Amino acid sequence: MPNSGLVCSLGASYEEFTLRAEFSVQEGKLACIIGPSGCGKSTTLQLISGLLPLAEGSISLHGNDLSTVPVHHRQIAMVFQEYALFPHMNVAENIAYPMKLRHIKKADRSREIGELLSLVALEGYEKRKSDELSGGEKQRVALARALASEPQLLLLDEPLSALDAKLRKHLREEIRRIHDETGITTLYVTHDQDEALSIADSIIVMNEGKVIQCGTAEEVYHTPNSLFVATFIGEGNTLPAHLLGEGEEQRAGVIFFRPEQVSVHTANSGEYLPHLNMEGATVESCEFQGGRYRLHARWQGYPLICYANRRPQAKTINLTVRKRDILHFEEINS
Amino acid sequence: MRTKGTIEEGRFYQRMALPALVVISLFFVLPLLFTLSSAFIGPGGGFSLSPIKAVFTDPYTLRVMRFTITQAALSTLASLLVALPGAYLLSSYSFRSKSLILALSAIPFVIPSILVVLGFVIFFGNNGFLNQLLMALFSLSEPPLKILYSYKAIILAHTFYNFPIIMNLVATYAMHLDRRQEAASYTLGASKSETFFRITLPRLLPAIISSASLVFLFCFSSFAIILVLGGGPRYSTMEVEIYRQARMVGSASAAAALSLFSILVTSLLLAAYSKSQQRLVQSEAYKEPLLLERRPAHALGRILALLYALSALLFILAPIASVIVRSVYSTSGFSLKWYRQLLNLERASSHMGSALAALTNSLAIALTVSILAVALGTSLAASIERRKRGKGALEMLGMLSMTVSSVIIGLGYFLIASRLHGGASLSYALVVLAHLVIALPFTLRVMLPEYRKIPLSYTNSARTLGSTTGHAFFTIELPLLRGAMVSSAIFAFAISMGEFNATLTLSSSTIVTLPIVMYRLIGSYNYQGACALGTILIIVSALVFIATGTTKGKKHA
Repeated sequence: MPNSGLVCSLGASYEEFTLRAEFSVQEGKLACIIGPSGCGKSTTLQLISGLLPLAEGSISLHGNDLSTVPVHHRQIAMVFQEYALFPHMNVAENIAYPMKLRHIKKADRSREIGELLSLVALEGYEKRKSDELSGGEKQRVALARALASEPQLLLLDEPLSALDAKLRKHLREEIRRIHDETGITTLYVTHDQDEALSIADSIIVMNEGKVIQCGTAEEVYHTPNSLFVATFIGEGNTLPAHLLGEGEEQRAGVIFFRPEQVSVHTANSGEYLPHLNMEGATVESCEFQGGRYRLHARWQGYPLICYANRRPQAKTINLTVRKRDILHFEEINS
Repeated sequence: MRTKGTIEEGRFYQRMALPALVVISLFFVLPLLFTLSSAFIGPGGGFSLSPIKAVFTDPYTLRVMRFTITQAALSTLASLLVALPGAYLLSSYSFRSKSLILALSAIPFVIPSILVVLGFVIFFGNNGFLNQLLMALFSLSEPPLKILYSYKAIILAHTFYNFPIIMNLVATYAMHLDRRQEAASYTLGASKSETFFRITLPRLLPAIISSASLVFLFCFSSFAIILVLGGGPRYSTMEVEIYRQARMVGSASAAAALSLFSILVTSLLLAAYSKSQQRLVQSEAYKEPLLLERRPAHALGRILALLYALSALLFILAPIASVIVRSVYSTSGFSLKWYRQLLNLERASSHMGSALAALTNSLAIALTVSILAVALGTSLAASIERRKRGKGALEMLGMLSMTVSSVIIGLGYFLIASRLHGGASLSYALVVLAHLVIALPFTLRVMLPEYRKIPLSYTNSARTLGSTTGHAFFTIELPLLRGAMVSSAIFAFAISMGEFNATLTLSSSTIVTLPIVMYRLIGSYNYQGACALGTILIIVSALVFIATGTTKGKKHA
């Protein structure tokens, strides 16, 4: 099935901003678009939904070209960051809105509303007004309303960014569960890397209107294709490549490694040949983070971040990183 | 056609402006151009600058222009003198009748001018309540106050009508000022009066200038008050002169030339006003009003404050109350005679005979006007808010008829109607259209901010759920605007019910509306009959007053 899922090639120009993005999402999968603010994430969703006009390119969903189909015929539902529940309707009326547009009979409507509310864990909320709901409840209703339109594709535009951290974590698990139960192809925009890494089947990293890398969470984390992706997703250390030391040919560009790949030693434990050895680094600060310690160290004037299981007992420490964990990038600016 | 969806949305909101644009261009711009072009038609019928030249060289019209500006300046000054102590009182102290005074000071915004004239005559006139009271108190045989039909009467009536506007605007602004700057001034060693004159007053100045320029504008284009209280050509202003030239002298080109001058001045004043409004918005951050629990420190201050509050209340309420009282009570005692005549239950003389027709006409006209004005105002507001380009230009177009006085709007209709030779139904249609053009900016003013509160994500949401833009407008946006539509409908209804200037200028003698019949009754000294009609207008104004109070400040989550 080469045509299943979402395949898009988007092109649009605005004042001071041009978008050229090509990517695809497999049928039934949940993909996250992630990138810094202004990278074109939300614009991408608006183009796919049809709320913004597509200047060039194509959007194909399950083999059908959608680029000339009007918004209300695309069968693409969208959940907005600010919920956008209709304030003059109660919960049931909000969810019934797309059903009425599809001419579903009244009896079927109320049954389906009940089912959708239990799917989003809000049984019995039919008669509530939207101003009586908490932020998390509003977002669940918005999700139920979007599902009520029986979409072929579900777009979520930073759905959790208005919620507090704890609720965000809980609700993202809920969104993943609801996705698994409904099996609707979903495109999820976020600027929160934790959110993307934890729930996505695949991740699309965007910057300045372009797709930089597509892949699974593990792929973009462990084998980023650019320094931008490496530093944008997760923490990391960037050093000039020549510091890799003798034996290696003098290389241009930078090397990159993750903090958890650094081993911290307080005593000199000998040369590790396949390692980058950073002897005589100084500890600048040490934060306890519950499961681990996060160290800020400085070596040869370069700042480094590394994770340790124990608080180092000396001011001066030795750090090592396996060479196979080190990535090399020719580019300098990220 | 790459994306029908977005084009469809664009088109829907573009088209929403069409009805209002048609009405504005056909029924406002066209008559206005017709009027102004008459200013360039000479006695022979061809193009000529002689009407304009005549107007600007004739000593009589020059005197009228001078008088118009002087009386407006004097009226504004008098209003400021009366209003500022009140604004100080309201913004500095908390006392029992405060919210009542503040609420009542909004009355002039909703009361028709013909009612002000009537109330003024009934209260201050030679046989008015004030004179009767003074004669009874001091056992005089002659009424001590003879102010009607004089310069004083005009200034006094304008002050009565306009000082509450300044008091209301300045006090509301002052209440929302950040008082910590005054506190800082005290801690730096400044006394109370030094702080007031060096800190508070300069900060209030933008609000004072802004409200004063609004009042100047109102007094400049005042019509009914001058027409009745001025007592003929001696105290004639631009507006009255335009009406007189067109309707009594029969010189359309002189009226048109005067209109040109009037439009010029009002546009300049409006530009100055909107500039001062912008400065007002920029100059101070809006703060929640502080709770004021202080009363004036000295006994003298307390007595002065009380006296001011009482007389302001009396000044605002007494003329209106006397209209209601006089409608049922005269020297011969209590009687519902005028209401019986109004309702045709009793044989009525001359003008009273047309009172019932006037009432039903006014109600029918006002109902039509309010429905049309709300429909146009709402669709225009939607089109302004939801378009990407030309927002400002379209909004300005919607507000355009405010730059022209209603007498001049009426003049254009009169000039066109005099060539059409239509019957009474055409005349009434013209009245409806003139009222519509006058009411449209007001409904737009109410609808625009309410429309702005509706987030675009509601419509976008509805569209991704399968709704067309049009369907989303009717199922999501319109229901959210219901409150604003009701209050702007009431507004438009009241404007139409009380509209006098344009109606009198454009109408033939066959047209009767409530204010027109009131004017004729005043002209034939049947004050009690006028008061019965006036009471009905007061009820309508009161409804508006209540409606504007209750529909304010709702927002969409």
